[in-house]
Amino acid sequence: MIEQIAEQQHSDFYDAVIIGAGNGGLVAAATLAMKGAKILLLERHNLPGGFATSFKRGRFEFETSLHELCDYGPPSDKGSVRDLFEDRLGLDAEFVEVPEAFRLILTDPQEEINVRMPFGFDNFLDAIEKEVPGCRTSVKRFFDLGEDILSAINYIGKTKGNPDQNVLLKEHANFLKTAAYTLDDVQQALEIPEKARKILNAYWVYLGIPTSRLNFTIYTLMEYLYILRKAHIPKKRSHEYTTALDAKIRECGGKIEYNTKVEKILVENGKVVGVETSNGDKIKTNHVVCNASPTLAYNILIHPKSEVPEIAYKQVNARRHAIAGFVVYMGLDTTAEELGLKDYSYFIYDNMNTEELYDSLNKLEKPRVQASICLNNAIPDCSPPGTCIISITSAFQPEAWKDVKPEEYFKLKNKIAEYLIETFEKATGASIREHIEEIEVASPQTFAHYTGTYNGIMYGYEQDPWDSFLARLMTMYDEKYIDGLEFCGGFAGRGHGYGATLKDGETAGLLTLQDLIKKGELK
Amino acid sequence: MSKKDNEKFDITIKSPTRDLFAFTKIVPQRKKRIEKASSEPITSDPMNELASILHPKRQYLVIDEIRDETKSTKTFKLIPDLDSNTKELAYFRAGQYLSLKVKVNEVAITRPYSISSSPTDALNGFYEITIRKTDDGFLTPYIWNNWKVGTKIISSDPAGHFYYDNLRDLKNIIGIGGGSGITPFRSMAKEIAEGKLDIKLTIIYGSSEEDDIIFYEELKQLEKKHPDKIKVVIVLSCEEVTLEGCEQGFITADIIKKYVNIDTSSFFICGPQIMYDFVDKEISKFNLPLKRIRKELYGEVKDVLNLPNFPKEIAEKTFKVKVHIGNQTKEIPAVATETLLVAMERANLAPPSICRSGECGLCRSLLINGDLYVSPINDGRREADKKFNFFHPCSSYPITDLEIKIPRSI
Repeated sequence: MIEQIAEQQHSDFYDAVIIGAGNGGLVAAATLAMKGAKILLLERHNLPGGFATSFKRGRFEFETSLHELCDYGPPSDKGSVRDLFEDRLGLDAEFVEVPEAFRLILTDPQEEINVRMPFGFDNFLDAIEKEVPGCRTSVKRFFDLGEDILSAINYIGKTKGNPDQNVLLKEHANFLKTAAYTLDDVQQALEIPEKARKILNAYWVYLGIPTSRLNFTIYTLMEYLYILRKAHIPKKRSHEYTTALDAKIRECGGKIEYNTKVEKILVENGKVVGVETSNGDKIKTNHVVCNASPTLAYNILIHPKSEVPEIAYKQVNARRHAIAGFVVYMGLDTTAEELGLKDYSYFIYDNMNTEELYDSLNKLEKPRVQASICLNNAIPDCSPPGTCIISITSAFQPEAWKDVKPEEYFKLKNKIAEYLIETFEKATGASIREHIEEIEVASPQTFAHYTGTYNGIMYGYEQDPWDSFLARLMTMYDEKYIDGLEFCGGFAGRGHGYGATLKDGETAGLLTLQDLIKKGELK
Repeated sequence: MSKKDNEKFDITIKSPTRDLFAFTKIVPQRKKRIEKASSEPITSDPMNELASILHPKRQYLVIDEIRDETKSTKTFKLIPDLDSNTKELAYFRAGQYLSLKVKVNEVAITRPYSISSSPTDALNGFYEITIRKTDDGFLTPYIWNNWKVGTKIISSDPAGHFYYDNLRDLKNIIGIGGGSGITPFRSMAKEIAEGKLDIKLTIIYGSSEEDDIIFYEELKQLEKKHPDKIKVVIVLSCEEVTLEGCEQGFITADIIKKYVNIDTSSFFICGPQIMYDFVDKEISKFNLPLKRIRKELYGEVKDVLNLPNFPKEIAEKTFKVKVHIGNQTKEIPAVATETLLVAMERANLAPPSICRSGECGLCRSLLINGDLYVSPINDGRREADKKFNFFHPCSSYPITDLEIKIPRSI
């Protein structure tokens, strides 16, 4: 009816077009715009952020997917994300510290873990020693390895990805020697007691694969950085910093179009030559930064199909698509204090058999895994006085949902939400059900609907040792199949975390910039 | 923690040589895995497919039947337009609405209408919407003159949050309806009668004239057939009431108390703005927590002049608004007492809109220059949007000349 009129359409030439305004696309666009590149950022939804956004129901504004931003750090010990936001991007966005690392509650009757773990290594070691006497030395070695990994990665970063092999062997041997292994392999070698491993591995759900397959390096680095620099969250939900990025991009002369879905990445002779959108824009460019996954780029976006090399399909098919989120958002008409909820982040699992838990994500039944947050315990005034916000997150293999019919869908997701609420109530002793003033339940379908992510997937590709961020970074040049196309986002090099996608956005922006300069394309 | 406190330790997993060797094998092994993988393209994406069925961007519909409900009200039965890509209708939850896109005398506008048919009816290929004509309205006189069987209509996916949620609401629902605000309750009542919605619904329906009660016969029939599940109370505000079993006057706390147990019920309210003003005061006598009272949106605020802090001195003014959309810029007039959405619709520059009540955020736009008045009773902006000057044109009014950027149509 209200068709796009021709005068509204974009047809100019751009130095780079960024597809998708998720964490990665926003930072890539800001990075390029700040360096003077003429860029256009296209987003299919009407908001920036992708998964990193917020939504309102009644008098509540919910954080959509972020639990804890890793490696932001306090002002006295800035992490890489704070460096990026404050020093390099100059963003106008406020972050607050989360009060504790996590509370872990295992609900199987034979399990006896209900423990609150603090930030800071000494505190953490004291707490875990108290729970599991005698574990301190081995757990400390686990964190020592985390420190080794961070120092190796900083070194590799300083050499711009060309480390001296001798320095690596001499100074960073522990990093090299653990990189090919799983979390289980290394923890067994460290002889960490089983119960201590259960506590240490509480964050496994943030990476979403069993510890028997999960790359040691990525997990250990993440946990090390959480305990070292604490977790942070945006004061006004993620919509604050994503909108700050939107403002920064425009301030630097970048253009952003929402409600604009890229339908084709045009490729000729192996090189990007432009993009076409659902609104009829035909844009010429030699550079695309793609916040959409390689899965979608190679299978859907690149046009013509004959430009997609066979190896690109193989690369996608060799990888395992990760899990998708399921979230119950609740605005309650009582306070966290009245509910007796003291902590911000609750990991509630049946047990710590992560293989079994992971397998359970393939079934539409009572979830055995949840990571829940009480937002007010980090941001007391995030909701009106006398209320609080709780969100319960679980996950599924999207395939579990594939035969669900529309007429069953709403009842089914409420049933699963009800299970999650019951489990939360039983584990924490807080009666929340009677206080629900607003509730919204998001399934893999919901995330597909709002972000367009392939199959509703939140976590990109799984990080087994052969496809960990290290393996990806070591092969990033070999596996570049289209000239002028860089990837960022949850399916890109560093993986799916907020910190990872933000930093990947910068990398993709800088690589594009480098290419523009090298080819003499930047005016 | 610092390692310097302790001796430096060297990790060994299998053996020092094998551990280093394992590192050197990461890349070759990755290459081998990729080489061995299938080169078949991926063609299925079940979650995006489900999303497009539940939330189609647009639904292309055609009027299949028009029924006169009362002297002022018609029901339009809408089915998929077979000439379009709409082959099936999106399922919904009883109480949700459709936002219709209509061109009236060359001006394209949207209007939200609650679906009056049941969700099961959508599976069977139709929606019904029930519209009351308002003689001074913009759209309804046009509809009465122009909509016929066969007229094509474009709609959004089902939208809104005015539906029963078993995790939030009590099982006894008091549906307070006024005028055409009865429509979502008809949908709920039908779903109850079909055995698919497990609630007890007491409809308290305010109507101004005896011969203009929408769905009177039908609701009474449903009540008769399902006396344990559905109860209908008609409250007539006309001077003389001859209809049996009706209440006379307005929907007061006393009338409500007479028919339901307040302590075990959740309220759902849908009607014109004037009804909310009255019913709000009555329901406040029960001192209920907010979670027990849900209200449907009612579109743009009609009497903006009476809203708190509205600058009345500029009420007569018309401002210039420079609008950027896509690659285009246009200057349009906007009067102070009309929302910017309406101003843009008059100029055929409408950004996408669904709820027209400040809530859905679909029309979210950027204020580049100038100043706005945002209606405090339907200010649905996110916190950060306030900080970065984004606003919802459907709940915002110009108070100076403006420069704005609006989203493109979807």
